[in-house]
Amino acid sequence: MKKYLTRMGDGERIEMTVDELKQDFELGTKDAADRGKISPLTQDELDYLLEIFTNPNKIVSVEPGNEVPLTHDIGTLRLMGDQGNSGVGIPLSRVQGIQVHERAFGGDTMELGHIDYSFKPVKPVIAMEQQEMENALLSTIVPLFYGAMPNLGLYYSPDGPFGNPSDLLPMGKIQEAREAQEGAVEHATRDMIYICEKLYDVGCDGINFDTTGAAGDADMKATLHAVEYLKANTNLAIEVGMAGEFVLGMHGGLEYDGVRLAGLYPHQQVKLVEKAGADIFGPVVNTNTSKSMAWNLARAVTFIKACVEVANIPIHVNMGMGVGGSPVFETPPLDSVTRASKAMVEVAKVDGL
Amino acid sequence: MSKQELLEQAAQSVVDADRDATVEVAKRAIAEGIDPVEMINDGYSVGMSRVGDLFDRGEMFLPELIVASDAMVAAINVLEEAMPVKNQSKKLGTVVLGTIEGDVHDIGKGIVATMLRVYGFEVFDLGRDVPIKTFVEKAKEVGADIVGSSALMTTTQVGQKALEAALKKAGLRDKVKTMVGGAVVTQRWADKIGSNLYAENASEAVLKLKEMFS
Repeated sequence: MKKYLTRMGDGERIEMTVDELKQDFELGTKDAADRGKISPLTQDELDYLLEIFTNPNKIVSVEPGNEVPLTHDIGTLRLMGDQGNSGVGIPLSRVQGIQVHERAFGGDTMELGHIDYSFKPVKPVIAMEQQEMENALLSTIVPLFYGAMPNLGLYYSPDGPFGNPSDLLPMGKIQEAREAQEGAVEHATRDMIYICEKLYDVGCDGINFDTTGAAGDADMKATLHAVEYLKANTNLAIEVGMAGEFVLGMHGGLEYDGVRLAGLYPHQQVKLVEKAGADIFGPVVNTNTSKSMAWNLARAVTFIKACVEVANIPIHVNMGMGVGGSPVFETPPLDSVTRASKAMVEVAKVDGL
Repeated sequence: MSKQELLEQAAQSVVDADRDATVEVAKRAIAEGIDPVEMINDGYSVGMSRVGDLFDRGEMFLPELIVASDAMVAAINVLEEAMPVKNQSKKLGTVVLGTIEGDVHDIGKGIVATMLRVYGFEVFDLGRDVPIKTFVEKAKEVGADIVGSSALMTTTQVGQKALEAALKKAGLRDKVKTMVGGAVVTQRWADKIGSNLYAENASEAVLKLKEMFS
């Protein structure tokens, strides 16, 4: 029986028959439907996934007319960073890096980001970031975001003023852990607003809150509060990108607009992101390294399709290392990442990647 | 109350994260002569597995998980006192066990330690967040037959590979068998790093090690 090259979730090359692919598509979409309490993919959609997977070409693309805009996170670190942080170590300035993305790579938007890529460390160097943003704006045409992670982890010891929930919770100090997170929400919201307003002052087009929820529900609450304020007080375009497929309940009791944040899946997250005032939402579905790409992609497409169906703002799904059906691999293999992207655009109907 | 009812109560008390209930059920099980190992395997572990599933699905959150874990540990402590140590005259092997540095997960590894003791292994449980060199030093000190490591996160999983290398460097790798486990660990990972044995849960760890050392 003919076998097709595909991948495991950790990037290992494997071969699967049509029957094996079909079975994993069905199990993957069923898993998402079961967890998210959403509809599984239809038979037509599963058949189309099979068509994408059995395409004999190494890379695939969308049909003409189905192209979508590309936004880009992590700033220019992909070019300038070394192998330790998944970059390729090319010695460029950040402005040059943005120009390369715009003029050579055809990026539809680009962003400036600090090497630490978290909001808190930007605070003491905000004047430098303002100047760099101004320089970049003067020499490019694409809309320029400033990107950073809310990263509430930096507000806990040893990096910040509050006790660390990861230390407090195993000791059974649940109330203390919750109070630490509530305190961090206030500090992080204040810092993010301060930084974004300073960047808005120099003409920054938008803000990308990247990997929201990485430090749990408190992380997301702080982000939504910052978005709400910025929408009401600036003309910044705002993108909220997630860290995981559901909001981790490090606190468990935090709410936004009367909705508990912990445990929300993409189709539920987007409604709160909209309510806060964001313009673009970047949902995430995590890749399971022990499952095939067929299982992972069918599952990811199911979650994202449900999110797209209820969204009133553009959905730019996160695609890359370990998310969106792509393997967990520093530089995801082309055969996988192009198949995953095509499925997200043509089956899940996302507005952008 | 039937054994089946007690097992179900044990599982539910963990899901409810009710410490008083877990301990109460454990005491009742001892009083009624139910095998403590069965209570752990088919009662409390089943509950913890349900908790893990709820957490994995975003339906239970970290604070509740911590309380549930604590409740289960309290029950196991009660049951441990009533456990007969089997094959006391014949030690099956010496095990050095710990959770890899950077990883604070303790429960699964703790259950493996308990079960191995019950089945006649001498176990040195190094706890959680254990530096690689501590595994090596302890294995050398006690003349370990098995070095077991647990990793619950992909970021700490790589420590199991480093442990293989550290044991080789210390000249111990040919003298010990290595065993790996933890939520993110798979048989494929064990094969990839050259570990001798992968166990998905405590019962499997016991079964495989007994087979290896009997």
